[in-house]
Amino acid sequence: MHAFYLREALRSLRQHRGLATTAILALTAALTLVGLFLLLTHNAQVALRFIGDRREMVVYLRDEVSDAQRESLVKRLTDLFGDVSYVSKDDAWKEFAQQVGDPQLLEAVGQNPLPASLRVRLRAELLNAPAMAEAARQVQAFPEVEDVRYGAEWVSRLDSLGTGFRQGAIAMGVVVALAIVFVLYNTLRLTVLARRHQVEIMSRLGATDGFVARPFVIEAMFEAIVAALISLAALYAIQRALAFNLVGVVFLPWMWMVAFVGAAVALAWLAATLALSRVLRSVGP
Amino acid sequence: MRDVITFEQVSRRFGERLALDGVSWHMDEGECLVFLGHSGAGKTTLLRLITHEIQPTAGKVIVGTFRGGRLSRRQRALLRRTLGIIYEDFRLLHDRTVFENVAIAVRIAGHFRDDEVIPRVMYALEEVGLHQKQAAFPHELSFGEKQRVAIARAIVNRPAVILADEPTGALEKRSADDVLTLLRRIHDEGAALLLVTTRQDVAAALPGRVLELAEGRLLDSTHAYPAGMAPPAAPEARSEAAASFESEGGALAPDPDPTLPGDPPFATEAPANPEESSSTAPPGMA
Repeated sequence: MHAFYLREALRSLRQHRGLATTAILALTAALTLVGLFLLLTHNAQVALRFIGDRREMVVYLRDEVSDAQRESLVKRLTDLFGDVSYVSKDDAWKEFAQQVGDPQLLEAVGQNPLPASLRVRLRAELLNAPAMAEAARQVQAFPEVEDVRYGAEWVSRLDSLGTGFRQGAIAMGVVVALAIVFVLYNTLRLTVLARRHQVEIMSRLGATDGFVARPFVIEAMFEAIVAALISLAALYAIQRALAFNLVGVVFLPWMWMVAFVGAAVALAWLAATLALSRVLRSVGP
Repeated sequence: MRDVITFEQVSRRFGERLALDGVSWHMDEGECLVFLGHSGAGKTTLLRLITHEIQPTAGKVIVGTFRGGRLSRRQRALLRRTLGIIYEDFRLLHDRTVFENVAIAVRIAGHFRDDEVIPRVMYALEEVGLHQKQAAFPHELSFGEKQRVAIARAIVNRPAVILADEPTGALEKRSADDVLTLLRRIHDEGAALLLVTTRQDVAAALPGRVLELAEGRLLDSTHAYPAGMAPPAAPEARSEAAASFESEGGALAPDPDPTLPGDPPFATEAPANPEESSSTAPPGMA
């Protein structure tokens, strides 16, 4: 890219400060809106991951299972599903007693009715409702297993919540992307029309559409970068304000920020290309 | 000699009005051709057909190797880059200096490096005697100076053909004489010159065929070189460019080292070697 085009873009920005400022403000508003949703989605994902990491499957063993059978089962479950910890009948009773707390009530229960169990912390790829259901079905098939519990309904709700956030973010992203293209398309159209005289002269001198268009495209991309950076600054301020009152609110990761600016620039390029391919045909002699 | 522009039975209609009616003519390489006619005779329509701003309603317009028909936008741009065009109303960029107005034509031709642009522009400005005003803006110039900037812009890429649309129309007599002297000189150096005018004295001041247009038709009174005038004997200086014009689909190969022979007609302190002018870097280009 020749410095000439950059100089031309800067000249245009200087000469049409009002239009450029309007475009940057409109883009900043649109990008901040989508950025807010990204921030919400990211924080929701962090929270869901935190909760999801605690998801585990409890495998209740039959009373007649020997130590050797249990060790063999632990090995197989570890290989197939994740980390396994053994909770004996006595441990289960102690845990229960601690939770209940009332000795009289415990005496009323009499003999320890609780089964020994294995607690399986599932691998990350199994932390979703369909995978957990399938894992539970497979574990249930082992002869040593009395029952399997993993909170199917709760896991399903958690998954739905995560999916909802993702879909909302995509929908919001599409709407805002269209808004950005619309804003830039019309701003560039106005800028080209404001410089109609210049475009006509260049066209008469033999300038190709590419020669005329490049400074305008650079201008649009520059406006998008500035708007994206202002949006990120505003989002950071919002995140700090929320974090002050609400523990655990985090800002967007670096990769998300880079993708955010990159997407804004790509949209600016798309809008500029679309606008100029139409406008130059109507302006050039 | 090769034809650089040919019109074959060209008509152009605008609604009910017939602006050109079955006009045929041709122009040779290095020739000077003047179209004389009143307002509305079809002169500007003729120029717009050459530059493909408009298409003929009937007939064929051939410019170099562009043999009529509708050109793509890219081809049309290429065609225009092979022509130097001078307008009555100058068509200068008001927000740019004299230097930048001329330099834009060089950049459009595909030259971006300062060591390519600066010497070319400075030499063209010296040719028209405006190198001292390279930093001025159009609103700071007289009409005559503006037209000289437009001429510098038209010749800076060494085109084989220069089109001039009433180039003295907005000028008082002295400036008009200067501009005609300059155009005559450019033609003497080998460029084909096609000029349209309403003024008999302008036609008489140029050494070429005069074709008269009236109501969109060529008149029989068309005559060849005016008394005492002769066509240039050997347009050697630009023949190479004209050859490129023929061989490269109309695309000229501008001189990398612009060295037109002779002293610039308006130069006051023009250096003999155009390279010397490159040492005077224009504002914003150093």
